[in-house]
Amino acid sequence: MTTLSDLKISEVKLAAEEGGKWGMVIDQDICTGCQACVAACSMENNIPFVGEEDSGYGRAMHWIRIERFWEGEYPEVKMTNQQPMMCQQCGSAPCEPVCPAFATVHSQAEELNLQVYNRCVGTRYCANNCPYQVRTFNWRDYERPEPLPNQFNPDVTVRRRGVMEKCTFCIQRIHKANDKAKSEGREVMDGEFTTACAQACPSNAITFGRVDKKDTLVYNMMHHGQSHGKKHLEELGTLPNITYLNGGGA
Amino acid sequence: MSEQVSRRDFLKLAGLGAATTAVLTGCGPASRYVVREPYQQMPEYNLVGQSTYYATTCRECAAGCGLIVRTYQGRAIKVEGNPNHPLNLGKTCARGQATLHGLYNPDRVTDPIMKNARGGFAGTNINWDDAVQAVADALKNNQPNEIAFLIGTASDHVFDLLTDLSKTTGVNAPIRFGAMNMLESRATLSKAAENLFGQAGMPWFDVANAQAVFSFGANFLETWLSPLSYTRGFANFRKATETKLRGRMVQFEARMSATGAKADEWISLRPGTEALVALAIGRLVAEKKGIAVPRIFSGVEPLEVAAQADVKLEALEHLAEMFATSNAVAIPGGPALGQSNGLAVAEAVLALNALVNNFGKEGGVYLSALAPNQSEYHRPASAQEMQSFVERMNSGGIKVLFVHGVNPVFEAPNSLGFKEALSNVGQVISFAVFPDETALEADYVLPDHHGLEGWGYQRVGTGVSLPVLSGAQPVVSPYYNTRSTVDVFIAAAKLAGGKFANALPYADEVEFLQNKISALRGEAGGSFSAIDDEAFMASFQQFGGWWKNTNALTAPDSASVLNQSIKTQVKDAEFAGEGEFFFVPFMSPTLGEAGANKPWLQELPDPTTTVMWTTWVEINPETAHHLHLENDEVVRVISEAGEIEVPVYIYPAIRPDTVAIPFGQGHTAYGRYAENRGVNPFDLLGKHLNEAGDLAFAGMKVRIEKTGKTKPVSRNESTMGVYGEALGEEH
Amino acid sequence: MTYGKKETEKKQEHHDHHGHTEEHFKEKHLMLDPLPRGVMNDMVMEAVTEKPSWKWWTTVFVLSAVVVYCLIYSWYRLIAEGVGIAGVNRPSYWGIFLVNTVFWIGISHAGTFISAILRVFKAEFRRPFTRVAELMTTFGLVQAGFSIFMHMGRVWLAYWLMPYPNQRMLWPNFHSPLSWDLLAITTYLLSSTMYLFLPLIPDLAMARDKTTGWRKNFYRILALGFRGTEGEWTHLRNAMNIFAFAIIPVMFSVHTIVSWDFAAATRPGWNSTIFGPYFVIGALHSGMGAAVVVLAAVRKFIKNMDYFIRAEHFDAIGKLMLIISMGWAYFFFNDYMVQWYGGDKWTKQLLHFHEAGPLGWMWFAMLIVNIAIPWAILWNPKWRSTPWLVSTVGILINVGMWFERYIIIPISLTINRMPFTWRMYTPGIEIPLGIGTLVLFILLYVIFSKLIPMIPVWEVQEGQMAHQLKKFGRETVVQVSELE
Repeated sequence: MTTLSDLKISEVKLAAEEGGKWGMVIDQDICTGCQACVAACSMENNIPFVGEEDSGYGRAMHWIRIERFWEGEYPEVKMTNQQPMMCQQCGSAPCEPVCPAFATVHSQAEELNLQVYNRCVGTRYCANNCPYQVRTFNWRDYERPEPLPNQFNPDVTVRRRGVMEKCTFCIQRIHKANDKAKSEGREVMDGEFTTACAQACPSNAITFGRVDKKDTLVYNMMHHGQSHGKKHLEELGTLPNITYLNGGGA
Repeated sequence: MSEQVSRRDFLKLAGLGAATTAVLTGCGPASRYVVREPYQQMPEYNLVGQSTYYATTCRECAAGCGLIVRTYQGRAIKVEGNPNHPLNLGKTCARGQATLHGLYNPDRVTDPIMKNARGGFAGTNINWDDAVQAVADALKNNQPNEIAFLIGTASDHVFDLLTDLSKTTGVNAPIRFGAMNMLESRATLSKAAENLFGQAGMPWFDVANAQAVFSFGANFLETWLSPLSYTRGFANFRKATETKLRGRMVQFEARMSATGAKADEWISLRPGTEALVALAIGRLVAEKKGIAVPRIFSGVEPLEVAAQADVKLEALEHLAEMFATSNAVAIPGGPALGQSNGLAVAEAVLALNALVNNFGKEGGVYLSALAPNQSEYHRPASAQEMQSFVERMNSGGIKVLFVHGVNPVFEAPNSLGFKEALSNVGQVISFAVFPDETALEADYVLPDHHGLEGWGYQRVGTGVSLPVLSGAQPVVSPYYNTRSTVDVFIAAAKLAGGKFANALPYADEVEFLQNKISALRGEAGGSFSAIDDEAFMASFQQFGGWWKNTNALTAPDSASVLNQSIKTQVKDAEFAGEGEFFFVPFMSPTLGEAGANKPWLQELPDPTTTVMWTTWVEINPETAHHLHLENDEVVRVISEAGEIEVPVYIYPAIRPDTVAIPFGQGHTAYGRYAENRGVNPFDLLGKHLNEAGDLAFAGMKVRIEKTGKTKPVSRNESTMGVYGEALGEEH
Repeated sequence: MTYGKKETEKKQEHHDHHGHTEEHFKEKHLMLDPLPRGVMNDMVMEAVTEKPSWKWWTTVFVLSAVVVYCLIYSWYRLIAEGVGIAGVNRPSYWGIFLVNTVFWIGISHAGTFISAILRVFKAEFRRPFTRVAELMTTFGLVQAGFSIFMHMGRVWLAYWLMPYPNQRMLWPNFHSPLSWDLLAITTYLLSSTMYLFLPLIPDLAMARDKTTGWRKNFYRILALGFRGTEGEWTHLRNAMNIFAFAIIPVMFSVHTIVSWDFAAATRPGWNSTIFGPYFVIGALHSGMGAAVVVLAAVRKFIKNMDYFIRAEHFDAIGKLMLIISMGWAYFFFNDYMVQWYGGDKWTKQLLHFHEAGPLGWMWFAMLIVNIAIPWAILWNPKWRSTPWLVSTVGILINVGMWFERYIIIPISLTINRMPFTWRMYTPGIEIPLGIGTLVLFILLYVIFSKLIPMIPVWEVQEGQMAHQLKKFGRETVVQVSELE
């Protein structure tokens, strides 16, 4: 007799079970929308600036954007809590299966959603299929006049036109920490390093770290406090790895 | 890295540092000149494939945050906060992050220029010997009191050098100015402190430990005084712990700032009534507490105030209840003080704190500590002081003007007449890093190093409980043929000889700095100690500064505050001009006063409006509807002082009788990314002052005319998704 | 010697005494109006081999100039500067390029549909225009291929999408609907080209026998030595039969797979299970519309064609168009209703945006030209037999179907689950490039009209041989004998 667990259905993991390896907690209650994370991300990841016209036409290439909405009307108007939105590093990412060239794939080592720039041919299907709309495309070769390229981070590929890109959870930092830990014969410690956005965030609204162990900071923040963290558009089954806190929980 | 430190020692040190988050290295005094060399002869601490990290101080604003800059093969790659620095504890703001776009800006001044004429950059590139000679001549060939220095707020060591020079040679003491300080109304705040506490200084508000924060116009999360440290305070204030509840915040302002956006209650009172509202709340608090209404609050009638301020009386009562029953702090700042009665506002709000007796207590008001090598509080010039300086220039009293670290032609309102006054100054020598508007009007441009290429220190004026002197050192070799302004002055003083040479008896900038900080070596309770001056200097650079480990905040004397009446009687605010709208200029938090030439700052969305790359005027939706204005429609905003044309941004969180324009754009020079982009709202400002001598920048009235033009405003947000524009009626 | 209208008229006069009814049949039906084989062959070959007029040259020159500017130069710019000069943005990552891709694939559908389905079901009216329709398939697919390559960010790496053996063992991702699409379209292109070629062989052989010079060589090579023996005919018929049957499922699969590009995505408005048949019927709708336009153009601009293409053909296609329009309306309603019933808040927002958004007029225009106008005109036999009227309806239907794809792609992409990113799409260089594909499509027809017979003469002759008019008393009756 077949039981439910014999069926393939059992392989569909619930979001609560699916951990991922790296995760992030964003406390929207203390995010002030100051854009420090956006600037830090752009500096770390060699993101081009696109100029006035393109940025106003939905072509800004920020890997992280801070969303905010309004509630009510003057004078009872209220700005909703800022919501930094970047690649959620989904455990079951809608962008991955649709790429015809395998340019966006799930890495088994980091359990992240990778973008392979030099495999990308620019069909932009992944960006369409991303429910979070966090993928940015190199619409042109955006000009960075000399000597601005001196600032490029040598650990991060500089992308050319026609290539999709997105937040990588600063994978270059993950690799560096991994290499170091490996050379020292240990595992990467929680909090040993962090992403550029979390590092800059003046209010510490962004916390990055491991989520595959129960004694980590991020894990505890996700599961503890007055309000449990919420994952964005979780109902789509994307298993995102970023948790949003909204109620001022500790 | 001093010569004594071997490569092996360095690696040890590097390993040690890396165990925390970053490697801190210091350049010892022996390597004071950073020389560009081919990479075959790489300096020993520069390893291929290895990054080197240097601690320094951010100079994008005057707050003095500590940075760790990652360098790689002689290039600065990334800026991070210095995790050990008491002010920012490893954090940075967007402007600090983008400082690399200043360093590697394609439009820097690359060589010293002797210009053909003012108003352009055409001229001859001269060598530095001639440049120093020109400075020496300027010092020598003029009467000392005809020599003036106008410098910015982000270079304290330059200020100290010029102060030293002025003390013994009789040249004018350096004047410090910055648009940011003007919009912070620093002079008003310190004057209020002086009036109430008997001591001028920057009050420091312990937001982190308060339960309720009442901010009257202080935009402390974006630009006010030390946004990084206040943001950290805010984060702690907001987080509930086992011992405290989530803090509640009330913001009183006519135009919602990012601080107002985070507030639980945003009270859009009528501009000019802040003092009355503060006093009315004080009176209600006293009544709720059942104590006799102190004299300072006795003169107001809450019901009348509510009507005047366009606030409901119940709201005031509810706020008073909140203020009385929780550990509350009230903060005055920004446009609330930049009005004709700004001083009264500051005093009334500070008095609120006295009422709940939070002076010197957790979650209350302190006076900021003086920095380690500071003997008395010094504040930048107020508008009044700038005005009298302009008058001196106009009267021909200034023959030589040196400008460093500030761009007054852009940053001072047109109405002050700074640019015109320059024509009465015989010689203007600019030390600008970028070809800014003031450099445009100079005779010589002798470019200083960029902040990341030069030495220095910055006193942390406020925002931290410890006295902090933040150290700066070069993280990369100078990219262009620039020279440190301090070195130029030291060399020129030698050439000028006599009292000038005696005033600056240093070999170079590093010796000067060492001289300035060596006194700290003897002080107890510091963050580090050293066996000799050289080691002290090396550690100073390595750690990114020196600070005391003990809290040095002082509690203001509150005894007499409540019993005095406000010295300057609370008058109704006066508004200059005929228009129907109150006008609120505010500092762009992403651009600041000098960020417009950094492309990534231009492309950062404004935190409240998400606008990029341009200037806009914020108008309430209802007002826009009445005036038949649409988003992106260009309007002419007219004040008694001038007019500008600027596209409309319909902003849901601004009073219907108020318009607001950010400051930061509207450059006519300053490089390709800044030039001819947006407009400068300071063109609308008159020269009305408040009682403390600050510009009454929020005391203008303007009117609006249609122009029939449109200019699409680049926004990061979607007008459809956020405002339901063009979605049909259902949204 | 010319064989034109006059000749035909003369013949008609000659047969006058057979009575009105028979004349009536003959005038109306090509199959009942036979001409001698040689005459018909000459008529067709004259249209091909006649020295091109200055009008033809001018047309070719103008069209080529447009192609050079709109297609070649603009595409060069697109590749050199990046897709930034197109109008795509976030959230409309796909724009007119994909609209055109789907549109052209749709057009190419009808060709095969007419040819294969009608051949399989032995619909006699198909005979004169199968060639024109099959050409539409091939030419349309060329434009679809161009459009999808224009769309790519790095088109020079397009070969990475093909499964070719390589040292690094990198393969395309067969999970991706785009990979399915690529395979489907390639299969379709190959099979439809073969299917175009097979019925062409007897005509090429005929042309070989009637020409001299370079043409003779050209036709000789292409005719593959076809001489018309019984064995050759048998083989050819078998091959055509196999292809006609095989290509029908391919045709259905192609547009279904195209629809999966959308239906398999996690987007409101796209994630619809009915998209497969909806896209197929939509493709037929636009394809039939295009076919009738091409047919009218061939009849008007190519010599001797008014003999072959008659009102009866427009009437027949008109009926098909009417039925397909009804089918499209049904599927449109079906899709709309299912999505609306789903009650998802974003889908609801999207459906509202379709009607009430800034491009709501397009949504209403689509319904008018796709449903209202065909229904209003095509029910009337007289109207639907009028070439200019039916081809106008055909053009309108194509505009409507283009609108439909525009609504499905850039307009629907505007609305997603992240309202902070909603933004309108404004086309840029897509416009010249789109015009370029349309003009190239026309240009290919113009050039091919001078290269190959536009009418499958043998098929017409075959049909005419099978048809007879017989008199039973006063009634004239059509008799069709089974071939083969």
